[in-house]
Amino acid sequence: MKRMILLMLSLLFTLALAQDPPTLESVIASGGADFAGVMNAQDESQQLCSVHKNTLPTEMVADFLTLQKSLIQYPESGELMGDWESGMKIFSDSKTGNCYACHQAVPSEVAAGNVGPMLTNYGQRGTSEAIVKYTYEKIYNAWAYQPCSSMYRAGVNGRIDASQAADIVAFLLTPESPINPALNQP
Amino acid sequence: MKHSLYLMLGLSLIIGTIAAYAQFGGSPEEEVAKQKQQILETSGILPGELFAFEGEELFYLARGPNNVSMEACDFGLGVGVVDGAYAQMPRYFEDTGKVEDIDSRVRTCMMATQGIVKDDVKRSEVVSLSTFIAMRSQGFNQEVSLEHPTAQAMYDIGEALWYSRAGGLDMSCAICHEVNANKRIRLQGLGDVKGQAMASHWPAFRFSNDSMWTMEDRLRGCYNNVSVKPPSHYSDPLIALQMYMSYQANGAPMEAPGFVR
Repeated sequence: MKRMILLMLSLLFTLALAQDPPTLESVIASGGADFAGVMNAQDESQQLCSVHKNTLPTEMVADFLTLQKSLIQYPESGELMGDWESGMKIFSDSKTGNCYACHQAVPSEVAAGNVGPMLTNYGQRGTSEAIVKYTYEKIYNAWAYQPCSSMYRAGVNGRIDASQAADIVAFLLTPESPINPALNQP
Repeated sequence: MKHSLYLMLGLSLIIGTIAAYAQFGGSPEEEVAKQKQQILETSGILPGELFAFEGEELFYLARGPNNVSMEACDFGLGVGVVDGAYAQMPRYFEDTGKVEDIDSRVRTCMMATQGIVKDDVKRSEVVSLSTFIAMRSQGFNQEVSLEHPTAQAMYDIGEALWYSRAGGLDMSCAICHEVNANKRIRLQGLGDVKGQAMASHWPAFRFSNDSMWTMEDRLRGCYNNVSVKPPSHYSDPLIALQMYMSYQANGAPMEAPGFVR
């Protein structure tokens, strides 16, 4: 009898200790308000890329791209090529563009990453309206061309504004820009 | 506190050595190997082992209101068993009803068994103790179990966090350490954390900032690097991520304490 009571008691004890199974929500909340604040602020696009591990099902791609296009804002002036010298600073600045983290650009900058394609002589593509527009939109929202790309959505996320995006476009495409040594040989 | 004195002396010697060789050029991997070799040649011991010695001293010291040593704690293989315990962490613990990693289990032991109140648990002590316990898994292989439903749930959540893209840089763990593994951010190589089973190399001494880090510290550093405010120490996101990463590393030999950039 005594044994039974002990068994019952230990069972009750175990039940009292048994916690609700953890969920993604409860785990994120346990990380603290700051962490949960960022994780719970995921937008629809981030959620889709997370759930599908960066590879969207084919039938979702068209709608996703349409959504990304709708998130792109353009400079009020309508001019998509701004000031290349300003663009060079934003490109290098770790607080805004931070582009050297992943891209090689001006050849003299050796501390450049290789996650993204090399952008040295990007300006060889010329400055047709199509190239300028593609370059601007890719910088403002990389996911408008490649869903869930490693490249972050600099404009959509507010790291740079529309005029800063246009400045980076100018840095990439202006023949005199030092990113284009093949175009500015004397 | 004889060992603490050794720790201080040893560390100042080692940090001096690191400073002297800080101008080394070459690939990051070569740099790590060279730094490690030079430290071994000059001081005969790696910094991580000094932290483990301090942890060992703390471990066998009767402390806290209950005046007991950590030999009274269960790290998953039974009360007082240290050898091989870290190789099976994170794991589900019946007494807390939770999955715990080494950091949180050390803290649980300090609080529940030694009676130390939460605010008096020093982070530096948790790191040294974790390093000691981890070192006692050398020679074992990583062997994380998902058998308990809570362990499986934490693994699944860890996987979801691994792929979660968040913050102003749209980053996730997977973008750097899976999709772009073995490439570089600036000059910093991106480890293939799962493929190279790096989960079994922590805690590690980081010579770039002269400090001993557990995997919790490393994960928090990662979140900081990608503009996401990191989860607090001992919290479940850190434990869930370790559950996911450590399980991927199952079978890998335990080599802690590690030595990393």
